[in-house]
Amino acid sequence: MRLVIDNREVEGREGETILACASRHGIHIPHLCTHPNLPPFGACRICVVQVDEMRGFPTSCTTPVREGMRVRTATPELLKLRRNVLALMMIEHPSACLVCGKRELCDKFRPKSEKAGRTTGCHTCNNKDVCEVRALSEDLGLTEIPVAPLYHMRPINRSNPFIDRDLNLCILCGRCVRICEHQQGKPVIAFINRSGKTHIGEAFGRNLEEAGCTFCGSCVDVCPTGTLADRYAKWYGRPEAGIESTCIFCDAACALRLGTKDNRLVAARAVNMGVPVCMLGRFALPEFLNGEDRLKTPHVRVGDTLREVPWDDAIASVAERLRPYVNDGFALVCDTTTPIEDRHLLKRFTNEVMKSDRYVEITPDARGVSRARLPEGTRALVTTGNFVDAGELDGLDAIIVLDCYPTAVSERAHAVLPAAVFAETEGTVLDGPGTPRPLRRACASPGQARPEWWTIAHLAQALGGEGFAYESAREITAQLGLKNSALLVERDEAPAPALNKRLARAFFRGHRIEEKVAGLRAMQGAEGRPADAVAIHTEGRFLVVEKREIVPNAHEIVIEAPEIAKKALPGQFIIVMVDERSERVPYTLCDWDAEKGTITLVVQEMGRSSRKLILTEAGDRLAHVVGPLGIPFEIKEYGTVALTGGCYGIGAILPIAKGLKAAGNRVVVVSEARSNYLNYYEEKLAGTADEFVFTTIDGSSGLKGHAVDEVGRRLRNGERLDCVVAVGCPFMMMLTSEETRPFGVKTFAALNPIMVDGTGMCGACRLTVDGKMKFACVDGPFFDAHQVDWDEVRDRREAYSFEEIRSVGRTEPVTMLHDGAHRGCGCDAHAKAGVK
Amino acid sequence: MPDEPSGDQPQDKPKPKAKPKIPRQAMPEQAPEDRVRNFKEVPFGYSEELAVLEASRCLNCKNPKCVTGCPVHIDIPGFITLIKERKFIEAAQKIKEQNALPAVCGRVCPQEEQCESKCILAIKGESAAIGRLERFVADYERNSGEVRIPEIAPKSGKRVACIGGGPAGLTVAGDLIKLGHEVTVFEALQEAGGVLTYGIPEFRLPKEIVRAEVDYLKKLGVQFVMDYVVGRNATIRELLEEEGFDAVFVGTGAGLPSFMNIPGENLVGVYSANEYLTRANLMKAYLFPKYDTPPIKRERVAVVGGGNVAMDSARTALRLGGDVYLVYRRAREQMPARAEEVHHAEQEGIKMLLLNNPVRILGDDRHRVVGMECLRMELGEPDDSGRRRPVPVKGSEFVLDVDTVIMAIGNKPNPLVPQTTPELKVSKWGTVEVDAETMATSVPGVYAAGDIVSGAATVISAMGQGRTAAASIHRYLMGEPEPAAAEQAAAS
Repeated sequence: MRLVIDNREVEGREGETILACASRHGIHIPHLCTHPNLPPFGACRICVVQVDEMRGFPTSCTTPVREGMRVRTATPELLKLRRNVLALMMIEHPSACLVCGKRELCDKFRPKSEKAGRTTGCHTCNNKDVCEVRALSEDLGLTEIPVAPLYHMRPINRSNPFIDRDLNLCILCGRCVRICEHQQGKPVIAFINRSGKTHIGEAFGRNLEEAGCTFCGSCVDVCPTGTLADRYAKWYGRPEAGIESTCIFCDAACALRLGTKDNRLVAARAVNMGVPVCMLGRFALPEFLNGEDRLKTPHVRVGDTLREVPWDDAIASVAERLRPYVNDGFALVCDTTTPIEDRHLLKRFTNEVMKSDRYVEITPDARGVSRARLPEGTRALVTTGNFVDAGELDGLDAIIVLDCYPTAVSERAHAVLPAAVFAETEGTVLDGPGTPRPLRRACASPGQARPEWWTIAHLAQALGGEGFAYESAREITAQLGLKNSALLVERDEAPAPALNKRLARAFFRGHRIEEKVAGLRAMQGAEGRPADAVAIHTEGRFLVVEKREIVPNAHEIVIEAPEIAKKALPGQFIIVMVDERSERVPYTLCDWDAEKGTITLVVQEMGRSSRKLILTEAGDRLAHVVGPLGIPFEIKEYGTVALTGGCYGIGAILPIAKGLKAAGNRVVVVSEARSNYLNYYEEKLAGTADEFVFTTIDGSSGLKGHAVDEVGRRLRNGERLDCVVAVGCPFMMMLTSEETRPFGVKTFAALNPIMVDGTGMCGACRLTVDGKMKFACVDGPFFDAHQVDWDEVRDRREAYSFEEIRSVGRTEPVTMLHDGAHRGCGCDAHAKAGVK
Repeated sequence: MPDEPSGDQPQDKPKPKAKPKIPRQAMPEQAPEDRVRNFKEVPFGYSEELAVLEASRCLNCKNPKCVTGCPVHIDIPGFITLIKERKFIEAAQKIKEQNALPAVCGRVCPQEEQCESKCILAIKGESAAIGRLERFVADYERNSGEVRIPEIAPKSGKRVACIGGGPAGLTVAGDLIKLGHEVTVFEALQEAGGVLTYGIPEFRLPKEIVRAEVDYLKKLGVQFVMDYVVGRNATIRELLEEEGFDAVFVGTGAGLPSFMNIPGENLVGVYSANEYLTRANLMKAYLFPKYDTPPIKRERVAVVGGGNVAMDSARTALRLGGDVYLVYRRAREQMPARAEEVHHAEQEGIKMLLLNNPVRILGDDRHRVVGMECLRMELGEPDDSGRRRPVPVKGSEFVLDVDTVIMAIGNKPNPLVPQTTPELKVSKWGTVEVDAETMATSVPGVYAAGDIVSGAATVISAMGQGRTAAASIHRYLMGEPEPAAAEQAAAS
């Protein structure tokens, strides 16, 4: 059929929607709730169009094409309508960053988002790099949100092993509910309640596991916002590369898209989002491959110890050890998770080089268990996994292990050779029915781990084997005639483990997968809890007197520390270690009471250590609190002083304002927050300052813009400011510095970099001020902002961000990944779990 | 110097006559190939048999020169004789009369420059292994669980504050508590021990030993206040005037790292040795992610410097999985590090780039280290220190491909206490000025010792000074006059 879209005649197909037809012809209609793997829904109304002889504004995603239809997709009326629809939707989404005047500067200065506990803007959102709302708002030119935003302060739901759910970001597009229904048959999540209270959740207040979630992760994949996130991968941002390969956890052989960062696997999901994969493929794989205890270097036994040696030495040593068993008692055990190419060489090695027929190839059972008994008369063994009972090893003269993780077998081995496995290697695997599927290399193997074909080929050559000179697995592929195998992308039905997580395999090469993956360990009903789960010990010397989340992601903590309260002066900081294993982290003092012997901090949750601190609650005791540290802000008569504070800085400027006021200055306090709901200490600051101005980035209350805009406005108006003090994130302080520089106004910034001891001993907190090296802990924290190298400050703060992200999931207590995550937040799940 | 006649051990059972023919006994140790990837202590220590055998080499000189070489004057022949008699606990007690930290000193003292350099056996062969024997008895006592509490003098009613829980402070605390004074140690970090805890790595000095030594002092009655920064929580004046202390000892150490003042030193990936070692030792970053402090696991590491701290940093970097270069601007003979440390470092595979001097560190657009430019040097005329001065070779610049640089070129005294105690007289180098005989500072009742006085030196010299300071503090508290002559004799 023929129809006209935007004055262009196009060919329509029977049953096709206007949206589908338009996009097929390269005509872009903005849309949000619709998704290629889902049936039409029409919830968001972004894709509205105008159609001649149709009333109103039909949604193009639900309206089928008709013969002779005339559609307009981009009239001024429509653009306005879409912008308004989006703006209304953004009222219940932390959207200040979308309409921020400094958005481009911000993205340039700090492209990566910060790993906040609660997301209150794009800069602290895990989804920033791939956000559909962000893209849409740019597309539609959204610059204003007409109504003040509404932040519901819903607890972040972490009550399941893999998925973080922050309903404060949810725009109710329903994609997650629909994909769950579409793929799983009966959805485990649904729209709960009606109208203003509508949210996504499980019926009857259960958690995902109780509701029967299979953790296929499809809901996370289709979520256009940061509401649903893969807990392990969420802070990596957009993966650098995406390779499509085959999952070898079981013989369903699902096609996975593997995302990497710095050559490490960080995320995996189905290539075909229309068919779910199981929780192992979706969530467990990156953590499994990135385990800290992976075998990384070759080891050869010398006396009682396994000694690290170079590969050449290892190959030579193993060859010598095996040589006496040529044609005499040699056996090799592997299982079918090893690619066909590698197994081909393993078999040839056994038969041709070792002249043995004891090649044992195990097909794992339904749980992934691969066990074998050694053939009679075995004296020397090569094994590529944990397949043999320890008791059987007793009589052996030589045990050689090619594997990815240490086991009871490798501990007794004469040589342990690290293997590149799964996404670290390439080759061909067979799916259940026996069709060859490609295994492609997506990421680097840890340390010096090598593919099995490489190791065995070198071993064969060292033992004089002929025809083992291969350069790559592809040569073997070609030789075996396995070229051109295709990924299993299109399938009629989901593999069984994707519909029932109990059917997912428990073992890979004889290694219990659960042992390597915190989320699996945290599953309800899992056997026992790992002994090395990190626990927070809160039995230290320093009592937490009070703790509350004053605004989203900012926690006010009152600590009993009389020695600090007695001596604290404005601008000083302290160092906190929550327990004996914690980092030493500096926090600025926001208040203190020498009489009560207490100090007050405002702590932003921005990573592992601050998270540990904010998870404490009244009655807990912190291990170490040291201070007051740093040189106090010089309190003297300056004249008129403008203090600007953002984030934690709103609290941190309070004591400085008090001090300056008492010293006879005219004090102007300008605080900034993204939105009205993020402002705090208004009364305290207003009560202290001669003039208190409140700015919000989205203009939801106070002046629209940043604190620096207000300072700049005053300076341009000729108002006299004798001194400006900025306390907040480096971006905010850098902006303030740039604004006041042309006016020559003395500007101080409070630097709070990474520290260790905080007393000048280590120099971790170095920065460059006026071309000279300074230590923030003993020379600061206040420096002439115009002289600070801000790019360096930013980059030094980021020094360990990658390590931190990588450690999430392996460092947090399993209980914290589960119901214990609700410690202190006061939500239902928290009460239910009985966590205090 | 006349050779001392041997054989003055009437109590001995029959022994080989030609004693010196027993060679100096080596300590069994982990093979370099094994130890480079673990943080376990390198030497295993003597067995009882080896210790007795080694002890039998001691000539028990009438006029033992070794004692004069010891900064704390341990009765060396005395404790070695007890080892010969297999009275190991008594031997430990004998050392503890003079030295509160024998397990530490047996490991980290430069004995080859001190006691062992004076040993008569060294004239014709190898000296008695005094350090190894000290270490053996200290470990024996600790492992036996029979740590005895020595007699403590009656309470004097006087209170002393020790600022800093490092070697000097611990020594002062140990001496003064035995003399009946009440002692409180104020420590800024979360664990006592100072450089023994944050600086010297686990594989050279297991932290369990430092903890045991600190526990011993606690058993003697020493109070430890952690997380307390004198200068911030209280000044020295306040300790004396408000907190009721009668005397103050300042042992705050050389805790302010030096840098070279070359471009690129603030790049991400450049560390002071203090930071690098503190992360690894005190914060246990090598156990990340079980401990929260992130480790510095990089591929190619350059350590700049030639002292013991440089060796410690290099060997730590190796154990964290790096390929390590040691860049030193002079030649091997001029390295201030102990020969044993250099030997261990080389054995473990650290690549020595001697006669090379860094000129700048190169970074990428994210301020991360991507290389270090060095200049080759050659030896010229001797300088003030008597060592031949390194002179740059023109046009010899080259770039070392590294991603981490550790600056181990020394420390300056920590400024916190001097800054907040204006009445304390300080030299132009920032060290606290003291009377060399008494370790008294310019403020009455305030004494100082260790690196805050001498700049960066050794653990044992800090302890030796600490002993002197403790004696002076005792006299000050008891109102005794300064016996200048006696003091001189003891300190010589």
